[in-house]
Amino acid sequence: MASSAVARETIVSLRHQIAKIEGRLAETFDGEHGDVHLRRQDGLPQGDFLATGAERFDAALGGGLPGAGLTEIHATGMRDAGAAAGFVMGLVHLLVERTSSPLLWVGLSESFREAGYPYPPGIRFLHGIDPSRLLIAQAQKLNDALWIAEQAASIDGFAAILLETRGPSAHLDLTATRRLHRRALDAGRPLFLLRQMAVCEPTAAPFRMVITSAPAGTRYLLGKPLARSIGPPAFLVRITKNRINPPSEFILEWNAHAHAFHERTAADPVVVVPASQHRATAAAAPGTILAFSSPAGSTPAGGQPSGEQHPAHRGHG
Amino acid sequence: MVSRQENNTQRIAAMDEEAARLRLKPGMGIADARAMHPGIEVIAEDAEADRRLLEALADWCDRYTPLVALDGVEGLFLDVTGCVHLFGGEKAMLAGMLERFSEQGFRVRAGLASTPGAAWAAARFSATGTILQEGDERSFLENLPLAALRIEARTISGLESVGLRAIGMILTAPRAPLARRFGSLLLLRLDQALGEIEESISPRLPVAALSVERHLAEPIGLVEDIERLLLLLSGSLRRDLERRGEGARVFELLLFRVDGAVSRISVGSSLPLREAGPVGRLFHERLAALGTTLEPGYGFDLVRLSAFETARLDMPQADLAGAGSTQGEDIVLFADRVRARLGTASVLQPHLAQSHVPERASLLVLFDGGAGPRQPPTVHNPERPLRLFARPEPIEVPLTEVPEGPPRNFRWRRSVHRVARAEGPERISPEWWLTSVPDVEADETEMDKDEREAKREAAQKEAVAIETARMTRDYFRVEDSEGHRFWLYREGLYGRQEVVPRWYLQGVSA
Repeated sequence: MASSAVARETIVSLRHQIAKIEGRLAETFDGEHGDVHLRRQDGLPQGDFLATGAERFDAALGGGLPGAGLTEIHATGMRDAGAAAGFVMGLVHLLVERTSSPLLWVGLSESFREAGYPYPPGIRFLHGIDPSRLLIAQAQKLNDALWIAEQAASIDGFAAILLETRGPSAHLDLTATRRLHRRALDAGRPLFLLRQMAVCEPTAAPFRMVITSAPAGTRYLLGKPLARSIGPPAFLVRITKNRINPPSEFILEWNAHAHAFHERTAADPVVVVPASQHRATAAAAPGTILAFSSPAGSTPAGGQPSGEQHPAHRGHG
Repeated sequence: MVSRQENNTQRIAAMDEEAARLRLKPGMGIADARAMHPGIEVIAEDAEADRRLLEALADWCDRYTPLVALDGVEGLFLDVTGCVHLFGGEKAMLAGMLERFSEQGFRVRAGLASTPGAAWAAARFSATGTILQEGDERSFLENLPLAALRIEARTISGLESVGLRAIGMILTAPRAPLARRFGSLLLLRLDQALGEIEESISPRLPVAALSVERHLAEPIGLVEDIERLLLLLSGSLRRDLERRGEGARVFELLLFRVDGAVSRISVGSSLPLREAGPVGRLFHERLAALGTTLEPGYGFDLVRLSAFETARLDMPQADLAGAGSTQGEDIVLFADRVRARLGTASVLQPHLAQSHVPERASLLVLFDGGAGPRQPPTVHNPERPLRLFARPEPIEVPLTEVPEGPPRNFRWRRSVHRVARAEGPERISPEWWLTSVPDVEADETEMDKDEREAKREAAQKEAVAIETARMTRDYFRVEDSEGHRFWLYREGLYGRQEVVPRWYLQGVSA
């Protein structure tokens, strides 16, 4: 009995240590509060969440994106950098609405050159963020970019900070990200780490999302979907690191008029259907996009059936 | 000795005492000198290096006075008015200066007088370290040769040919004939040397509005020590600035190294600054960026902090909780620090321009403190991509559905994208009011004048139309089969020109 008591004590102390590292109460490990997620005040601040509007997505994050601290967002390919930027700006929009502070976008000259510079008129159109509230900092080296982000996180004045890096890097390890995370937590503002073409390494960010472009929704004309039109942009968001819930994936659409995210599900009317039956062949297929959420892992990259696959799926729509 | 190329011959430009003892003279041909003394060592003159050395010395002389001017290629003027008491009087100052120069390995001649002309003469034509009291100029100059007057050699030989060999002789001669024969420069130099006409030297560097300095008995070399000293200096600078109700936008830190090298480090800020803390932080970033390029060597024995570009600065009133509206200022200070460390191009802000050409509509300009002119509200809010490339990237388009339509597929950065959906075109014409009208020559064979003019006008219109067609862009928003959205355009119209229109990808959308 004595030895089991000692073993139990060891386990409890280890659990406390893990909980301390992860920033939440140890009780959640015990399973007694299975559905209640208590968070330490200095870990993830209670109550300050950014609700994106997509309920299932918010629930998976435990009520919404944390309003402070580091969030890691990956763009798998260089071509997804636009989608990742669009997704982050959508999140940022939720913040920018609250304050009048500007937003800082820190990037490497290389990443800007390869993936394009932020284009304020586009951001204004899609996210409604005024160009005068955007500030861009560029550095040649990752260390300098990290320094800018750290300094920016510790001053009081930016609504949000976006740090964009490119490729895997040894400088962006657990220690460096923890510094960023702590600074952002202490300052009470979010810091988005936008990584292009990086591998998923251990970082201190509580959440990691991988963003891929998904086929856009359609425009509506007089209440009817317009064939072959490119409507609200859509993103395939895979939450690959989540301390609260198991990994999951969603297809979110950004509505540029309502400035809000919607989740696209099979039952959702946002799903694109062929405008009319007799045009189905002409509209090929590119226009006909059938979105559905499938269990993680079984969806191909992009999450959508290609044009050739379309007829087999039409029955679902 | 140093040789110089003069009129196709190598001549002696300068030489040391040993060469002088060999009865060589400046201006002598190198060939002659070699014939006399085959063993002499000759080095080619490097005027640029000489100038750099003189400028370095001028920098070093900044420790005595901010008013240092270069005098030709071999001298320096120092205006020490009001600075002398800091160094224990004229005599002590001059002696100290000469001693320090000789410690650095230079042999210099110095003279001190109340006019630049007399000091020039004193430095060159009397024992080094001569100090002329005010009023002694006339008696001192009387016995000197004409060369002490800073006048041209031609004038000197002219004067000597009429028997005027010393300055004293000109002083007593009637002025009008002298001016008529030898030009007004002679009399001007004479009056300047005597102090009858004010002469000012032009300092080579702008003079700081305010500066504070500290002489150190023990040289310092550590960056931490420099920063600590900097805080003390900026503290006393703050008091001076406060008295004037001003702040400064440019601060310069001068570090005088023991062995004579001077480092200048300057930082700029967008808003006038006064408080010691922010100034110290700016220099902290700058020193961090300099890193090892700042070589302390044996240490710095004089540190000076100067303020330039002062401007009015009123302290904003804080509310009772002590929090003023400092949000904007925080950002400006942050931007200044980033720029101090990483260069001015590291912080950018968007600037919207009145243009419909996408790359002109929004420019990223250097951050200027944010308080730029208010940008006009835009009614027109066109659909644009989120990211724009620095310059449009050419893409290969093998096939379009219809000539004027979107591409079926395209190759960008070595991979093929199949276009699933496309929207467009959005036609964007060039800004013809910014380009010049192509010049069209009139047809000289046409006899009738009106007819000729009409033909020329028609030809010009046609040229403008072709030029416009060449520059016209049709933009398409396309989505490829994987869901990536791009913004691409075709430059040029089909059928209006010989060359095939080209395709470019300009941006990526969310």
